[in-house]
Amino acid sequence: MGKPKLLWLQSISCNGNTHSFLNHPELFSILAHFELLYHPVLETNYSLQEVIKRSVPCDVLILEGSFVQEGFLKVGVEVSSTIETYAKKAKYIITAGTCATFGGIFKQKEPDKISGFAFDIEEKTVRYTQYASKLISLPGCPVHPRWLSFVLLMVANGKKIEIDRLHRPVELYGYTTHMGCIRNEYFEWKVDAKNFGLKEGCLFYEQGCQAPFTRGSCNKILWNDTSSKTRVGTPCFGCTESTFPQSSLFFTKTNMGIPAKMPLGVPRRAYLTLTGVTKSFKIKRFSERLLEYNK
Amino acid sequence: MKNIAIKQLIEKIEGEAELDFTFSNGQIEDVKINFGFYRGIEDILKGKDARDALVITPRVCGICNHAHLIASLRAIEDGYKRARVEVNLSSKAKDIREFTLSCELIQNHIKWLYMTILPQLESYIGQRSEENYAIKASYLSSTITKALAIFAGQWPHSSYAVVGGVSCDPTHLDVIQAQSLVEESIRFFEKVVTGMSFEEYLSIDSIKELPKIQGDLGKLLYLIGSNDMATIGKSHDRFIVFGESPIWVSAKSVGTLRSKVDTRYVKESIQKNTVAKAVEYKKRLYEVGSLSRGMVAKRPIIKSLHKRYKDSILTRIFARVDEVSVLLNICKNLLQNLVLEEPSCTLPLNKMVLNFEGVGIVEAARGSLIHKTKVKNGKIVNYEIITPTQWNLSHGTKEEQGVAIKAMVGAKSIEEATFIFRTFDVCSVCTTQ
Repeated sequence: MGKPKLLWLQSISCNGNTHSFLNHPELFSILAHFELLYHPVLETNYSLQEVIKRSVPCDVLILEGSFVQEGFLKVGVEVSSTIETYAKKAKYIITAGTCATFGGIFKQKEPDKISGFAFDIEEKTVRYTQYASKLISLPGCPVHPRWLSFVLLMVANGKKIEIDRLHRPVELYGYTTHMGCIRNEYFEWKVDAKNFGLKEGCLFYEQGCQAPFTRGSCNKILWNDTSSKTRVGTPCFGCTESTFPQSSLFFTKTNMGIPAKMPLGVPRRAYLTLTGVTKSFKIKRFSERLLEYNK
Repeated sequence: MKNIAIKQLIEKIEGEAELDFTFSNGQIEDVKINFGFYRGIEDILKGKDARDALVITPRVCGICNHAHLIASLRAIEDGYKRARVEVNLSSKAKDIREFTLSCELIQNHIKWLYMTILPQLESYIGQRSEENYAIKASYLSSTITKALAIFAGQWPHSSYAVVGGVSCDPTHLDVIQAQSLVEESIRFFEKVVTGMSFEEYLSIDSIKELPKIQGDLGKLLYLIGSNDMATIGKSHDRFIVFGESPIWVSAKSVGTLRSKVDTRYVKESIQKNTVAKAVEYKKRLYEVGSLSRGMVAKRPIIKSLHKRYKDSILTRIFARVDEVSVLLNICKNLLQNLVLEEPSCTLPLNKMVLNFEGVGIVEAARGSLIHKTKVKNGKIVNYEIITPTQWNLSHGTKEEQGVAIKAMVGAKSIEEATFIFRTFDVCSVCTTQ
């Protein structure tokens, strides 16, 4: 038994997942567990032409990009047909990124034709049943390099990955991106950020932050081993969700002054009750600057 | 000898392109460059909030997403200005944007050097070393994008630059960490890329001093020189730069003349048999990218190389690697002088312009990137993106061949031509946004 054979194929993509993973500090140690037969930018044993025209072995298939059945050809062959050829062979199919998983940003060009590989937003595609037993979803725009390496190494070590109904690993997507956000005291006490570019305040009330209802571990496993959107004052845009990208991304939609969308699983009544309580107190510390220079 | 046509798939160029070569008398006479799939980002943006472009447009490209963010942001800020709402950025916000953008360019240049140029050159001349160049690319790329992420939250696909400033409010702790990562990158440039001290490298201003360069750049120069490749790949010898920055000048350079440019004269047109659009400036084709920036800014070592070798692959390749030093230097200076006490964002949250038209320009790794937005009642009604690869890879006009095509004409083999093609660092996804 040799190493599992790994193939990375792209359809309608920006290469963001490729470059996200390329930044993994232990990239080559992870790849050492596999025989890399094709990759979009790394040197590999086979060329894309060979992958398309001949039949190359494949144990683990990574898919990047939105899926379209017809109209996207590489060397005269429909990309969809190449993908299905290898999907049949593979023991594991990993959809890396929101495009490959749900359809993502490029779906919006032709919503009726373009989708994810096994899901169209959250509906199962015609391919779902055939490939469900080997499917692992890793949504995110792009996929976090450590999320992908986790799945690859679990596969290489022959360990079972626990997944949810959309085939996302629960250890990664059981969390919301809100968990671990350094602003969450402001969330608890309903203190909004007065502008962009401030250390203080929560971005959920005005700036459109979707973290409280977005699944993902961006604030647990940091980006570039360093930070995250909300840690630098950027709202979460819900890029791991099947509905990404929604519209009016820097703006919180409200009903009668209350955010229209509630934190995951929180009933509106519970949220309102809590808001009523917190708003009846004025906590001095939360109205002050976190720290000041030249005081 | 009859004309022979050969079709070749060029891969690992941020996607793929198909090249149709026409040979005549053993030399390449013409090339058609075809890109496959139009993804329609410009259409996707229609009907969305003006600011949504800050999230959507980075998704044009996984390797130069940050440049798209800054271009889309500048388009909005330009539109605000034209609608007479002044956006007065703090120098802190300006410097942080410049810093993160520079980090992305460094990442691009280094990946191109180690994942495209060195391995492709070795294959072309039939001297493959056993070296894993990609590990060097990955190391430097993850180091410098980590510095970027300290301010921007993540790379790829950050949207931390907002209208009126930046969303982050960094501390000295952040700056110190970023400085340390820049120092690490400079060390890499010294020990691995050039084999000499950074100061010593920066002082190089003439081709006479090039033999001092060791490291991977030294090896690259030696391989090009010893294989008679220093003069191949010449094109129109015309350069254009649209983006202004602390290190670059916006102008065009033809012969010894440097003159002003205006984006109003940039014309985009649809081409046959490809989804990529072509661009020209006053009916002439220009090269964009590091070589153009070096020429227009009159960087001594680039002018010196150009004097001898014109716009050959040697000048083009050197200019791109050399630019890493310029960028690392500016990164270092920007961090050293960053004034944290200033505000990060100067435009109040509720200050919004609902009707405007704006143009945003930025120097991306591969050259000038232009975004144009038209907004009515807060919604985007039209959006245009002109990417660097469109300049370098257009099919050409009736009068003249495209920049990369002209560079390939005269090549004696497909291998030679495709290597020349790759010196332009083609980005397929950007070309087919």
